[in-house]
This record gives sequence, C-alpha cells and structure tokens, in this order.
Amino acid sequence: MTEQAMRPQFMGARVKRVEDPRLLTGQARYLDDIDLPGMLEVAFVRSPYPAARIMGMDLTAVKSAPGVRAVLTFEDCPILLWQKDSYQVGQPVLAHNEVRYVGEPVVAVVAEDRYQAEDAAELAVVHYEPMEPVLDMVQSIAELPRRVHAHAGNVFYHKEYTTQGFSEAFSQATRHLTATFRTTRQTAVTMEPRGTAAMPDPASGRMTVYASTQSPHRIRGDLAELLGWAENQIRVIVPEVGGGFGMKANTYPEDVVVVWAARHLGKPVKWVSDRTESLLTDVHARDDIHEVEVAYQENGRIVAIRDHLMADGGAYPAYPFSGAVGETSLASRVLPGPYQIPYIETVIDCTYSNKTPLGAYRGVWGPIASFVQEGIVDRVARSLGRDPVEVRRVNMIRPDQFPFRNAAGMIYDAGSYGESMEEALRLVGYKDFRARQSALREQGKYRGIGISVFVEPTAMASSEAGSIGYESVFIRVEPTGKVTAAMGLGPTGQGHETTMAQLIADQVGVNLEDIVILHGDTDSAPFGGGTGGSRSGPIGGGAALVAGREMRQRLVKLAAHQLEAAEEDIELGHGQAWVAGVPDRAMTIRQLAEIAYTHVKRIPPGMPIGLELLARYRPEQSVSFSNGTHIAEVEVDPLTGLVQVLNYVVVNDCGRLINPLIVEGQIHGGVAQGIGSAFLESLRYGDDGQLMTTSLSDYLLPEATDVPRITIKHLVTPSAGEGGIKGMGEGSLIGAPTALVGAVSDALAPFHVMVDRLPVTPDDVIEWITARE
Amino acid sequence: MKPAAFEYRRVTTVAEAVKLLRETPDAKIIAGGQSLVPLMNFRLTRPSLLVDVNGVKALQHVGWDGAYLRIGSLVRHQQIADHAEIQKHFPVLTVAAKHIGHWAIRNRGTIGGSLAHADPASEWSAATVTLQAEIDVEGPQGIHMVPASEFFLGYYSTVVQPDELIVAVRIPYPKFRIGFAEMARRRGDFALAGAYVEDAGNGEGFVTWFGVADKPVRVPTLLPDNMETRREAWQQALETLAIADDSKPRLHLAVQMAERAWQHSRFDGARYLSEEAGGNQPL
Repeated sequence: MTEQAMRPQFMGARVKRVEDPRLLTGQARYLDDIDLPGMLEVAFVRSPYPAARIMGMDLTAVKSAPGVRAVLTFEDCPILLWQKDSYQVGQPVLAHNEVRYVGEPVVAVVAEDRYQAEDAAELAVVHYEPMEPVLDMVQSIAELPRRVHAHAGNVFYHKEYTTQGFSEAFSQATRHLTATFRTTRQTAVTMEPRGTAAMPDPASGRMTVYASTQSPHRIRGDLAELLGWAENQIRVIVPEVGGGFGMKANTYPEDVVVVWAARHLGKPVKWVSDRTESLLTDVHARDDIHEVEVAYQENGRIVAIRDHLMADGGAYPAYPFSGAVGETSLASRVLPGPYQIPYIETVIDCTYSNKTPLGAYRGVWGPIASFVQEGIVDRVARSLGRDPVEVRRVNMIRPDQFPFRNAAGMIYDAGSYGESMEEALRLVGYKDFRARQSALREQGKYRGIGISVFVEPTAMASSEAGSIGYESVFIRVEPTGKVTAAMGLGPTGQGHETTMAQLIADQVGVNLEDIVILHGDTDSAPFGGGTGGSRSGPIGGGAALVAGREMRQRLVKLAAHQLEAAEEDIELGHGQAWVAGVPDRAMTIRQLAEIAYTHVKRIPPGMPIGLELLARYRPEQSVSFSNGTHIAEVEVDPLTGLVQVLNYVVVNDCGRLINPLIVEGQIHGGVAQGIGSAFLESLRYGDDGQLMTTSLSDYLLPEATDVPRITIKHLVTPSAGEGGIKGMGEGSLIGAPTALVGAVSDALAPFHVMVDRLPVTPDDVIEWITARE
Repeated sequence: MKPAAFEYRRVTTVAEAVKLLRETPDAKIIAGGQSLVPLMNFRLTRPSLLVDVNGVKALQHVGWDGAYLRIGSLVRHQQIADHAEIQKHFPVLTVAAKHIGHWAIRNRGTIGGSLAHADPASEWSAATVTLQAEIDVEGPQGIHMVPASEFFLGYYSTVVQPDELIVAVRIPYPKFRIGFAEMARRRGDFALAGAYVEDAGNGEGFVTWFGVADKPVRVPTLLPDNMETRREAWQQALETLAIADDSKPRLHLAVQMAERAWQHSRFDGARYLSEEAGGNQPL
C-alpha cells in the first residue's frame, strides 16, 4: 500500500485546470454577478482631502434624491476597525470628525441601484477644514510636520535587531559601501475589484455575506467581532474571485458598512469597487526605504549589513494586519537571502502618513528585500571590478550547510541555491554573454544581465492569512463512491479545485473527475486560514494528503474485510480495490461505499459507519523555504529610455510539484507583475497629498505584449512536510523585479548606473544617460 | 464610475444629428465612444443628450480619386489600417493607424471622434496637419471646410461648434516623403512624444510633433545630412512651439522621435511598413 502511494498517478502531472472551462467561457460567477431580488447598492462619499477636519455635513439633498433608501455616517455606524486597540489607532468605518487620506469613506449612500447611489452621493455637502498632510516617511519619523493621529506617535512599529559581534565584524572588514534603496507604492490591481454583498435571512435571523476575499473564515470572524454578533449567525460565501494577491486578505471599512446596512435595512445590499476606488482604497504596498551600510572583504565576501528599514504604513494600520509591518519585519529577517552573510543589524520604523493604508501585495517583504540583497551583491562586485556571478558564488550558502541558520535567526531548510543559479546561467548562455555585451556596446547597443537568486519562506505558521498554522479538509466518499472534499482555503485563481483533487485522487484511488472540491463557504468548509503567504500548496495540500490517506486507510480496512485478505495486501486505484496479484476479484469503491452507508452490518468491528472524516495538518516546521534564480537579459534603448526584455530564465525549486502546469502559470504571472514593478507601476502622490494615479491610464500595468517568453526549469528539493511540497505563490514576484532592474544596471554600467529605486522609467534612463553627456 | 443620467437618440442622417445638436446645446455626438465614454464614466463630462451617429451611412466611406483621399468621419481606425489603397498611396497613415490603441479600440474608435476629441497626443490630429488635410464640418448652415492647420485650438479644443459635427477628412496626395515615429511606455498607449517628418529632398522639410505641444503644428525645418546639425535643427524647430512640459527627458524624446521619423521618411512605403511590423515591441 505505501509502495503504491509512493508512485502517484496525479501528483506531479500536467493536469489541465478544471476551473478553466468556466473561466475562459465567461461562465464563472463573481461577486458582481450576484443579484438578489430587492438588492440595494451602495456608493461612498469619499474624502477629497488627505487631511482635514470635518466641520459639518448637509445631507438633506442626498436623502431626498430618487431611489435613496439610507444615508449613513459614523453616527449611524460607529464601528472602529482595530477595536482590540493593538496600535492605539482604529480606523472608523466611516470617517469620524477627521479624514486622513484621499478616498477614505465618509458617507455611505444606499439606493435602489448604483447609478442612483452615485447621483445622490454627488449631492453630499461636507465642510472640510484642510490640514497640512503628512506625506514623507522620513519626516514622519521625526513627527513632522505633525502627528497623523493626535494621540499616537507617528512611528507605530519600531524594532531593532543585532547579531552578536556585529560592530566588531563590521569595523574590521576592509571595505565598506552605503546605498539607499527605494521602492514605490503599488497595489495589486486585481482584475475583479473588491466587493461585498450581504443578505439577511429574516426566517433564521442569520446573515449571508458574499465576499471577494482570500480568507472566508477570517472575514467571518472579523465581522462577528466588529459587529458584536455570534459568528454562527454569519455565513460567508466566496464566489469566484478574480485575483487577490494579498490585497483581498483584509477586512475593509466597506465590508462592515455593507453588512451593517443589510441588517438595519432588512434588505440585501451590495457594493462593488470601481477602478478608481480600487486604486484609491485597496491596500497599497511596497512603500519602503532601506538605508544600507555594507562591510565586505577584498575577495568579495560580504561580512555584515546594517539596514534602517522604513515603511510608510499610511493613515491607519490595515485590518487585521499592517502591510508596513509585514514588509519590514520579514525583510529584516530574510535580508541575507541565499548568501552566508554572518552579521546583520536592523532597525525598523513603520510610520503613519496621510496616504492609503499599506497592506499585502504578493511577495510582501520579498521583492524589496531581494532588491536590496542583490543590489548589495552587484555593488560589491562593481566596486571590486569583479564579475557579479563570482561574487555570488563566493557568498552563496553551500548545500552542506543546510539546515542553515541565517544572521537574523531564520532557519532555512534544504534548497538548491547554487545549483539554481548555475543552471539559470547555463540556460541564459552567460558563458559568452560578456563578449557579446562588449561587442554590442561598440555598436551603441546596451544589453545587460540581471541575476536574482531568491529564497521564499512559505507555509509559515503566521502570514497575512493569519496565525493559523494548519489547514483542514473534510472529506466524504459519497454513497455512490464519488468523493467530495471541503476546505477552508480561499483560492483567487490558483486552481485548488485541480491540485487538491490531484492529491486526493492518488490517495483514495479514484479518478480526478470523481472528485469535487468545495471551498469558500463557511457553512460547509471546516475552519481554515484561507489562502495567502504561499501556504495553500504545502499546508492545504498537506491536509488534502492526510485526509486522503486516512480515507484510504478506511477503504483498505473495509475492503480487506470484504475480500478476506490482509490490509497490507489491498491495493486501491481507478475506483477499485483488489487483493495484490488478484485484480480479477476487485470491488469498486462504489460497492465499498454502499456497504459503509447501507449494508452497515458488513462493516468490520470497530470501524465507524459511513466514509466521512475531518483531517487537519500542521507542518512540524514553522516555515519551509523555496528558492530559485531569475535571470533577465534586457536591452536599454539610450534614445527613448525604453527597456526591452530579450531573454528571461527561471530555475525554480518549490520541492515536489503538484502540477507543473500550474506552477509555471504562477511563475509567468509573477514575472509579468515583476515587469510592472520594475518598469511601470507607481502610485504617485502630489505634494498636496492627492493620489494622481486614479485610473489605469495613469497607473500603468504590464500588458500581454510586454511579457517575454520565459524559459522555466524545475529543481526539486523536497520539504520535510507532507508530500515534500513547498509553497511557490510569491517567489516569482520576489525574484523578477530585481532581475529586471539588475539587468538595466548592468546594461548601463558604462554610464555608472546602479538602479536604486523602483520602477525604472524612460525618463530615469534619459536623465542618467544625458547627465553624462 | 457610472455616468450621470443622459438621453440617447440614434440618427441615420447628418441633418437629424445637426437638428438635435441645435435643440440641445450640451448634446454630444457619440461614435466609437473610446474617449467620450470614459470621460462620462468619470463624470468629467455630462451631456444631457447623446446623439449616436453610428447609423449614418454617409459617414462610413473611404474614397480615393487619384488626387484626394476622402475618409468619412465614422471610419474606424482599423479600417484605415487595413485599407489597401491607403496603404499604397499613404503608407504613413497605415503605420500611424497601427499605433492607435489596441485592436479592440481600433475597431470602435473613429477618425472623426479622434479629431473632435483633439488629444494633443493623437496620431490623427498631427497626421491631418502634416498632410495639410481639410476637415469637413457640417452645421445648420451646411458644410464648411477647415484647413487642419486652423482646426485645432489647443488641448482638447477645436473650431467645431456645439451644433456642428465632423463629416469627413480630405487629404491631398502628399508632396514629400513622409516618415512617422512615436514612443509610448507600452504598445498602444498615447505617445509620450511622436513626430511626422516631411523631407522635400532639397535639405528642407517640415516636422509635426504630437504629444509635445498643446496642438500639432507643422514647423518648417532644415534637414542637413549631418546628424549633429540635424539635431540642432530639431531643437530649433522645437523652440518655436509652446511646450508645457519642457523637462529634459521630454525634449530629448521629441528630438529623438523627429530624428527617427526622418530616418523612416527615407524608406519607400513597403520597406517602411515591414520595418514597423517587424519592429520589436517596446516595453
């Protein structure tokens, strides 16, 4: 039996996603497709100021506008996020006396449809007394020009860490350099925007909440807590979700207002974000500064890194976790990446500002830390006049060093760091690249290669999905032998209905099409953390394996009893059970299920009736590291400043693969988003605190034509967890921006360019090049 | 992001459209809707009446009589990109058309709508000025022809009156070899800078930039063989324009695009087209 489980039929196979037919033919049902009889819609009056006192409001015209059913302010709905007071600051779900960022919800208008709601919202008169906004995070640390919250300091998170012996090691090193790295505000820009709908059921008194979220149980718990209801009075249903990327891991003010309104009006109520609202109010991300000092030796060995990490957390900590804390704290712990840098010293300051709250965006800390880490290596190489590959080899953690404890105390399980880089160098043709590069420079063509060797902590006990270090699967073999499994995950496009079915099919011995995976309904799914932090594969997948295996044991026991054979001799597969070597005497799983549910007298003693069980899986390790290498070859046009990606190679190691097709899709998407981070995406605030990028004509996203062909190769270093699976949802976006802008630095080396901020725009390139002329 | 309430009427003749425009001063013509609808959804414009001219057959034709190309105002960008005779006689228009938005946008957007919208970065506005086209505008008093050089007043502003609409563009066969170049952050975006350059073959010519000043202007320029002196010529030509964003990168790009357009002007049409089609896609 164990032998058979070791040669899985479905795990590792390039199975086509069962989700795709409905997605590609437009049959999927998203939140905005939910249309219940009598449903009302909400439009929000939002703050036009980054900082202002609310001196008064006149809402009479709003209330008497056609179709309006309710007009809500904080007085009606006096709920603060963060009632637990973790940060001394809780965002009111509708602004209370003061507004602190452009786009903050002030008044909710509930009307018969969205058109009427927007027409009425325009009529709201709110008297504001503007105040000077806090916009610069370095100034904010010094409480300048003022406090964002009168009763709380601007630095809401401060942490320091030093490896013992740091100062000595730092000062004894022969060479030192300093650099400041800056990333720019971005946001996830999911294709499907945020949205919430709520439907009270007068009969049961319960509330059904439709939510476009990554964490169904979490949002249920949040709503119950914030509204003061029992959580079993709320049922959360998550329809198809068109992208989350961490941005849908929060509970937002609008969610609370919509549910509150549905309860108080006794009507179904819906709000769906439009694109401008999304850019203004979806959590932002990546607003970080790293001031770095590096100590290293003549041989390229990096000894010590000192880093002052700053992140602008926006006006409030997003609920229930602040992205600023997430971006900095994990960055400080994984800063050395795949390199054996023995000493680090970090200081973290997360500050308030009059900007949109910072939350999670795929990779969270990673794209920033990678940018710093590889930026350091490239600077060391250039300062020593050495090949950047050589400096990487000198510093790389060796295979015999695993498990490796890094300078910040993080334990890396085994990976293929050096191997992934060497393989990627081979695939990109690095051996003759330098010769090509200098020949092309003679012709005025500027090509460069950027190398990004990344580590990706996955399956963490604590992530943006909450501190739920386990996942649960309820599995049932139906009386007909078909299999239904329900999970607490919150997929937003990852294909869990395919991958989880693959894992279960191998264990239970049925075919893929006999399995239905349920998720996103708190009434049917067992409690779970949801999807985020690259945990669904290793933890959720692990739970699927455990549930499948336990069900398999039941089926084997049942079959052994019926076939009068020893359990060790029973084999399962293709919907059948048989005695090894005697396939003719097979029983179908359907027959076994009939016994389990109907002919219960034939169940062996001690076995429960039915074929249903709940399994939980919690990895023993609190984190498992995936790794890989991205290499980009680009050409920079010195005349236009445009960057063209000519070649892109990814060598990825996420342990044992469940479905290479899906892993590669994840990588493609991460590289595409990496192109956005590297060259296009930037949420820009004016000096007056207005967000200037409020449509997709200003906030540029990568398009299909911007994404190059990507060569992918998999390495497999299994984790110690179930199935040897590691997470891989974020690594591609951790690695990509750094590879891309590293290539720009390399290409423009003759102009002494070393990129220190994201994104790189054509204007930047032109400035750099013309500055030398 | 929902538009304010409006009335909607679909017409089949220009006369009907003009009548409705006269009756409702804040009415707007809708053709492809590629600029107007986003503006309405942002509530930056809120016409009380939309007059849909998509059913007016008289505006849908392209005609070439050997001297003049006549393009009806309702002709879609993609129709221009695909038109065999335009490609043969005005290859620069084919190339320009392919730089407008994406296929879906080009299938809907119209040349008349583009000219009426008068985005300073529009390929068509600058094309009409370069080619010394005449724009036929119809109103209560009938049709009058406006030279393209007098048509554009500035940012999103033209001589077209609220009770008038564009019915056609008439383009004479070009006297000179013309080249085109533009630079956008992504394929299909509005240009950060673009240019048409006409080379008279005698060391002189004209440059018409778009995305640089508040409207396209055809500027006479010297076209010396030497690249450095040519560069100075582009810079001098630029100095004649009122440029709002005169940052260094923007002016650098304007010069580069003029130079690139001039390089293209030296290709014959077919080679020019293949160069463009095979050109690498910028990021």
